[in-house]
Amino acid sequence: MLLLLALLQQIDSTVPVGRGQRLEVNAFAGEIAVSVWNRDAVRVEADAGGSTRVEIDRNATTVSVRTSGRRGPPSDVELRITAPAWMPLDLSGVNTEITVEGTRAAISAETVQGDVSANGGDGLVSLRSVQGSVSLTGAKGRLDLSSVNADVEVSASSGEVNAETVNGDVTLDAVDATSVTATSLNGDVAYNGPIKSSGRYALSTHNGDVTVTVAEGTSASVAVSTFNGEFTSAFPVTLTETRKGKRFNFTIGGGSAQVTLESFQGTIELVRPGQFQGARGDDHGDDDEE
Amino acid sequence: MSDQWTDRLSAYLDGDLKGSERALLEAHLERCEDCQETLASLRRVVMRARSLEDRPPAADLWAGVAERIGAPARTVGLPVRRRFTFSLPQLLAAGVALAVLSASGAWMLHPVVPTVTLVQPAPSGQGEVTVTPVAAPSAARSYDAAVQDLEQVLAQGRGRLDTATVRVLEQNLALIDRAIAEARRAVAADSANLYLNSHLAETMRRKVDLLRQAVALVAAES
Repeated sequence: MLLLLALLQQIDSTVPVGRGQRLEVNAFAGEIAVSVWNRDAVRVEADAGGSTRVEIDRNATTVSVRTSGRRGPPSDVELRITAPAWMPLDLSGVNTEITVEGTRAAISAETVQGDVSANGGDGLVSLRSVQGSVSLTGAKGRLDLSSVNADVEVSASSGEVNAETVNGDVTLDAVDATSVTATSLNGDVAYNGPIKSSGRYALSTHNGDVTVTVAEGTSASVAVSTFNGEFTSAFPVTLTETRKGKRFNFTIGGGSAQVTLESFQGTIELVRPGQFQGARGDDHGDDDEE
Repeated sequence: MSDQWTDRLSAYLDGDLKGSERALLEAHLERCEDCQETLASLRRVVMRARSLEDRPPAADLWAGVAERIGAPARTVGLPVRRRFTFSLPQLLAAGVALAVLSASGAWMLHPVVPTVTLVQPAPSGQGEVTVTPVAAPSAARSYDAAVQDLEQVLAQGRGRLDTATVRVLEQNLALIDRAIAEARRAVAADSANLYLNSHLAETMRRKVDLLRQAVALVAAES
C-alpha cells in the first residue's frame, strides 16, 4: 500500500498498525519529532515545501515515512509523528533534528547535522549524530550513544551504557548501569550513579577530566591511569600498588566492581554523590565551534 | 610485567579455566596488580570487540583491505559464538587489529574472531614476557593501509558532502591525529606501559572509526 501524498504542503494522515511492525522514518532535512499515544496507529503530520513530497509506505513488518525531492534533495520538512509506545523506531536523516518522546520500545536514530534527543526507550537504544549533540533520558536496556563533534548525555536511565564522542563531553547522570563504557577524546567524562558490585565501568578521555561519584558502601576495585594528569578524591584511598608512570590501583570496600579510569592529560576525580557537577564543559583548547 | 599466569588470563576470561586452576588464578589475581591490569585491558578489548557485533559495515571495503593485510578470502558460514583469545603481546595489537577489521567490515564476514597474530608472541613459560608496542611493524602497516584506503575513498567522495560536515570531520581527524602523536611520544618514552599502549591503540581505533563513518556518509550521498 502506497499513499503518495504529492503536492500537499500540509499532510495529516493516519494508518493502522499492528504488533510486529516497526516505524522507519527518513527525512533528509528538517525535523523528525516522534511522540506516542495509546492507539495502534501511526499519525503523520508534515509541513513540506512544494518541491518535497512525503511518502508513507506500509507492509507487514514496517511502516515507512520518507521525504523525497522532485528535483534534487528534499527541502526542510517538519515531520510530527505519533506512534504506539510499543513500536520500535528507526529514524534517520542528514540535516535533521530528531526528537523522541515517551516511547517504550527500541530506538535507532541517526543524523549528520542535528541533535538527537530521546525521552524513553527500552531494549536496544542507539542514538548517533556527527555534528550534533546526543541526549537520552528515561531509557533502559542496551544504550549506545555517539557523537563526533558534540556532547553526549544520558540521564535517569539504566542498563548497559556505551557512550562516545570525539570532541565533546560525556555525562552520565543518575544512571543505574551494570556496565559503562564512556569515552571522549577532547572532553570530560562524568558518571553519577551507583557502582554495582558486579558491574564494570570504564571511563576514559585523552584531553579532559574524568569524574565519578562513589557512594558510601561502594565495593569496587579501581584502576587509575594517566600520563600527564592528576588524581583527586573526596575521601581517603589507600593505594595497593603504584607503578611506573601515573598508574595505581586501590580497593573500596570488598572490591567487587571493576572500575577503570583513564585520562591521558586531565584530572581523574572521585566525588561523593552530592558533589557531582557533571562534565564541566571546560575549553580543552580545541576550537570546535561552527 | 608478566608471570606464569599471564598467558592464562585469556582462557580465564573465556571461562575455560576450571576447578583448582581457576581458584589458583583468582587467588593470584588478588595480589598481582599487573595481572589485574592486564585482565582489565583484556576485558576492554573484548567489550570493544563485542560492541562491534551489531554494527553493520559502512561499506564493503574488505576486498581492498584484505589484499593489503594478507587476510584470507571471504568466507561464508554459520555464525559461531565468538571467542577472544589473546596472549599478552597480542593484546597490545588487538586494538589496532579490531580497528582494521571493523573498518573493513570483516566482522560481518568472518564471525569467528581469530587469535590476533599481527605481533609475534614472546616465548611463554618462565621469565619476562616482552611487551611489544602496538607500533609493531606488521600491525602498523595494516593500520596504515586501512587508514590510507579509507582516506582515499573519503578524498574521492568529499565533494558529495556538505562543506560544514567536511570541515567538522577534518577538525576531528586533526584532533585525533594530535592525540595519536602525543600517545606515540608517550609510548616511546615508556614502551612497557600497558595503559599507554592501550590508549594509543584506542586512539588509533577512533581514527579508523571516524574515517569509516565519513566513508559511510560519502556512500550514502552517492
